[in-house]
Amino acid sequence: MTDLELELRDLGEYLDVPTAPPLVHAVRARLDRRRHRRRLLALALATGVAALAVAFAVPGSRASLLRFFHLRGAVVTIVDRLPPLTPRRPLGAPIALGQASFRLLLPDGRRPEGVYRGDGGYWLRYPGLLLFEFKSGVGAEILKKAARGTTDVEYVNVDGEPGIWIGARHALYLPGGPPRAAGHSLIWQHGPLTLRLEAAVTRDRALAVARSVR
Amino acid sequence: MEPPGEETLVERARRGDSVAFETLVLAYQSLAFRTAFVIAGDASDAEEAAQDAFVKAHRALGRFHTGEPFRPWLLTIVANEARNRRRARGRRAALTLRAAVEPGANGEDPEAAALASERRERLLSTVERLSDDDRDVLACRYLLELSEEETAAALGIPRGTVKSRTHRALARLQEELQ
Repeated sequence: MTDLELELRDLGEYLDVPTAPPLVHAVRARLDRRRHRRRLLALALATGVAALAVAFAVPGSRASLLRFFHLRGAVVTIVDRLPPLTPRRPLGAPIALGQASFRLLLPDGRRPEGVYRGDGGYWLRYPGLLLFEFKSGVGAEILKKAARGTTDVEYVNVDGEPGIWIGARHALYLPGGPPRAAGHSLIWQHGPLTLRLEAAVTRDRALAVARSVR
Repeated sequence: MEPPGEETLVERARRGDSVAFETLVLAYQSLAFRTAFVIAGDASDAEEAAQDAFVKAHRALGRFHTGEPFRPWLLTIVANEARNRRRARGRRAALTLRAAVEPGANGEDPEAAALASERRERLLSTVERLSDDDRDVLACRYLLELSEEETAAALGIPRGTVKSRTHRALARLQEELQ
């Protein structure tokens, strides 16, 4: 590659590209409307009666996508390199434990040091541990990117429910925000909720915490 | 348990698995948006183009050849949508560079940082003055770092043309910079 080509590649890193808007919900809504219209049309034809009648920002998408892990409410993709990551931002607005719109699950039933509403769910802060809980729809709603070779990613079982363990630094995308750096994490389904735990612990310790929520 | 590969997800999506398709949307939404933005030069056009592209891709899944890579196929649709919007607008908004933090903020020599920034500004404005064909091929190959195959798919031209057009565009760019 010539110097000019290298400069052009470098230029891509400096382009002012707005944060990608979350598209999943909009696309889902449009596809749902289409399915609905098709059902109505089918009904109209059958009866002979004419009756006719949608969050996440993800810059840094140039890396190749190599593998997927997914469960309801979350997707983990393995890429050849991570996008530029922003430092942590505030977790959200502090609230009382009982103010959440659903009953928050607590590890060992222990009360957190802080509860915050943000990113489409609730953050629970414990010493050395962050828990994020949200009600997931049928589609994927949080995205994580992990770099190939430097990160362990595997499916795990949390008391019969599916989960994904990510054993190293990765990029975390939450609705409407830039990718941020995240450490060891476990994401798992628990009834209608999807939970994400982040702590500098081993996989087995993370699983033990996950199994203790109630 | 092995995670499903892209091929499996595409196959599931073809069979009507909406979660599989949404996984693909989530995984590719930023690539789609960035590609559309670099082609159209406008954020709202890029968002519409990317959204429409996913809806059209879903509709066209039945015609997708199993075993083929999904990414170039999707890029063809995204780039088409973005070019249509650029045409409709009649002009392309020029790309810009992110505001510099503070020259030398990362511990580098402030003078060298300022010069590098100036050089980047000049390079981008020169790229933007090239013809659409030359500018698009350079944008795909270098700014978006698409492969030749992906660039061919995005621009709707044969791979050989990508090579020759890239070569020509680089030569013109070099000329303009001197």
